[in-house]
Amino acid sequence: MTATSKIEPVLDVSNLTTSFRIGGEWYPAVRGISFSLQPNETLALVGESGCGKSMTALSVLGLVPKANGRVEADHIRFEGKDLSRLPDEEMRKIRGNGISMIFQEPMTSLNPVLPVGFQVVEALRYHQNLSRAGRERRALELLDLVKIPSAKSRFKEYPHQFSGGMRQRVMIAMALACRPKVILADEPTTALDVTIQAQILSLLNELKAETDMSMIFITHNLGVVAALADRVAVMYAGDIVEIAGVGDLFARPTHPYTEALLRSVPRSDRDTKTLYSIPGAVPPLTRMPKGCRFTARCELAVDICRKQNPPLDALAAGDAHSVRCWVRGNHDRAALKENADV
Amino acid sequence: MSEPLLRVSNLKKFFKVRRGFPNPETVIVRALDGISFIVQRGQAFALVGESGCGKSTAGRTILRLLEPDEGSIEFDGQDVVNADAKQMRALRKRAQIIFQDPFSSLNPRMRVGNALAEPLLVHGLMSKKEANERVRDLLEEVGLPRDAGIRFPHEFSGGQRQRLGIARALTLNPELIIADEPVSALDVSIQSQILTLLRDLQQRLNLSFIFISHDLGVVRYFCQVMAVMYLGKIIEKGPVPKIFDEPLHPYTVMLRDASPVPDPTARKAFERIEGEVPSAVNPPSGCHFHPRCPHVMDVCRKVYPEWIDVDAQRSVACHLYTEGRGGLPVAEAG
Ligand SMILES: Nc1ncnc2c1ncn2[C@@H]1O[C@H](COP(=O)(O)OP(=O)(O)OP(=O)(O)O)[C@@H](O)[C@H]1O
Ligand SMILES: Nc1ncnc2c1ncn2[C@@H]1O[C@H](COP(=O)(O)OP(=O)(O)OP(=O)(O)O)[C@@H](O)[C@H]1O
Ligand code: SF4
Ligand SMILES: [Mg+2]
Ligand SMILES: [Mg+2]
Repeated sequence: MTATSKIEPVLDVSNLTTSFRIGGEWYPAVRGISFSLQPNETLALVGESGCGKSMTALSVLGLVPKANGRVEADHIRFEGKDLSRLPDEEMRKIRGNGISMIFQEPMTSLNPVLPVGFQVVEALRYHQNLSRAGRERRALELLDLVKIPSAKSRFKEYPHQFSGGMRQRVMIAMALACRPKVILADEPTTALDVTIQAQILSLLNELKAETDMSMIFITHNLGVVAALADRVAVMYAGDIVEIAGVGDLFARPTHPYTEALLRSVPRSDRDTKTLYSIPGAVPPLTRMPKGCRFTARCELAVDICRKQNPPLDALAAGDAHSVRCWVRGNHDRAALKENADV
Repeated sequence: MSEPLLRVSNLKKFFKVRRGFPNPETVIVRALDGISFIVQRGQAFALVGESGCGKSTAGRTILRLLEPDEGSIEFDGQDVVNADAKQMRALRKRAQIIFQDPFSSLNPRMRVGNALAEPLLVHGLMSKKEANERVRDLLEEVGLPRDAGIRFPHEFSGGQRQRLGIARALTLNPELIIADEPVSALDVSIQSQILTLLRDLQQRLNLSFIFISHDLGVVRYFCQVMAVMYLGKIIEKGPVPKIFDEPLHPYTVMLRDASPVPDPTARKAFERIEGEVPSAVNPPSGCHFHPRCPHVMDVCRKVYPEWIDVDAQRSVACHLYTEGRGGLPVAEAG
């Protein structure tokens, strides 16, 4: 599957900006990002803590806190509907039905005082025309599907009686309950140890192969990305700075941030004599620089980087690999000079 | 080789817990079931294994933050288990612990400079003025501004708070640092900054580490020697590169193969664990790993395997290496 294939995307996000009001001013945490998701595709979102990965997913589902948050987009198109303009009531029907989310912390999203099986049955309640008995049967099937051992006898147990890995699998069962077209998985394996993580990744891969489900997988584990993704979007400080097919991204990391990130991972399959570290830190939301937001940490930065944020352009015409960088990207130099004077 | 800094022998720690509803029963969690290892000066020693296998319990018991039930601990030739309060205080200056969550171990209402100076003043090692100067040096040592001490913990980012945790562990010039998952809560770029810092400290100050982690990539980078734990017991130990390149125990193989590597061309089908991961309350008979082991034999179900020294540096507890059996099939170890 490539980004250029002619199939209709299941999800198409255009120019999404999510801002927060901090001390009376609005600051964008996600700024004008666009991407689309093909049927049966897994798109990984990676990047430093705070770069806007969770907010991207929450914006799609209309779950950004309204108290101090604001979502704007040209469109967020899903099955012919623009989610960014959908009334709350309709949005609720999409959540868990057409699109479902696996939240990072399973304990906070499961109700501790309700039996696990009951919660899966509840997840089915609003969305399917099933009888009570039918819902219970389906819930049990789902728990078996995510390999909860002896699911039948554990149906009435409470979340605290399940291990972390099992709770995470219950969350996945609930997310799958209504056969969603799209799953948004926010760090679903970060809290797990490697053997359980491997199990969940293989489960997700298997489910994807069996249905035509698509997935946005948020993580900062590049090993997990390599194991699972079809395409990868690298985010930095609210921007997508590079997007490419998974093979291409690892073979030809082009944005200086992507390149530095890959060099910063110690690998278990080979010796690392010296580990690269990116100096400095991401600037806070309230003090973002004017130009490229990576400038202060970038070894390649030139004058224009400090003045103007580069566009996200394909490396070659028709290439599915795009990069947002004045030095490494492929930009029309003439236009660039013109703009630089502004 | 000189006298080791730390020698742990047959260390045990059991917890009694009440479990079950409506008729709670007292059960015994064999969190640490007789582990032995040696840490040399200047060496980083890794304890790895999946969640609940007893890594943190080991770290805490060695510093007697938990009282051991059995076994011996020798620090620089000195008996730790039977040390009295005064000896213990002296020992705690020389061995420090860094916790995974640096926030919970920092007092939120205290300026970090005062928090860092506290142990120096409590131990009566310095005047107030000297202590303040030492704190400024420490902050600089861990890559924070010298004047960061006037700030409160919440004014620091996650990575900076982890640096504060390291600064605190360094305050009393320890010889051994027990680092319990010091980078697992951090993202890749901050993780590499912290690892680089720890590596630099290790080399400059000849520090020893017990490094607890389940990230094998981090262990391979940072540690020289490692022990793999499974349900309260060490099942394999040896030098780091060798264990990665040629693991002896089937569980070590499983752990290595489940660790994803950042290379899509190395993509492989993950092994599925069938059935439940067993618990330290009633570990399986014989070799604890036998229900998950692809090489299980009759003897594995009945008898716990003895320690076998495979060569001068490596040892393993697995029946594949007893009675002249040849060990793992070659294809798998490679
Ligand atoms: N309710 C809020 N009010 C103000 N700022 C917020 C709020 N929620 C998030 N932010 C800010 O928005 C930015 C993006 O946050 P987001 O949670 O999307 O990051 P992330 O990429 O998911 O990070 P992580 O890897 O740590 O989960 C961050 O700078 C964060 O501090
Ligand atoms: N205070 C306690 N009371 C009862 N049981 C405990 C206590 N502390 C730990 N345990 C149990 O002892 C075993 C070992 O726990 P420990 O925290 O040492 O594991 P770990 O290897 O550090 O795991 P993780 O990777 O999840 O941190 C577990 O079964 C745990 O539930
Ligand atoms: S002792 Fe037997 S069951 Fe245990 S790891 Fe070795 S072969 Fe497998
Ligand atoms: Mg997040
Ligand atoms: Mg632990």
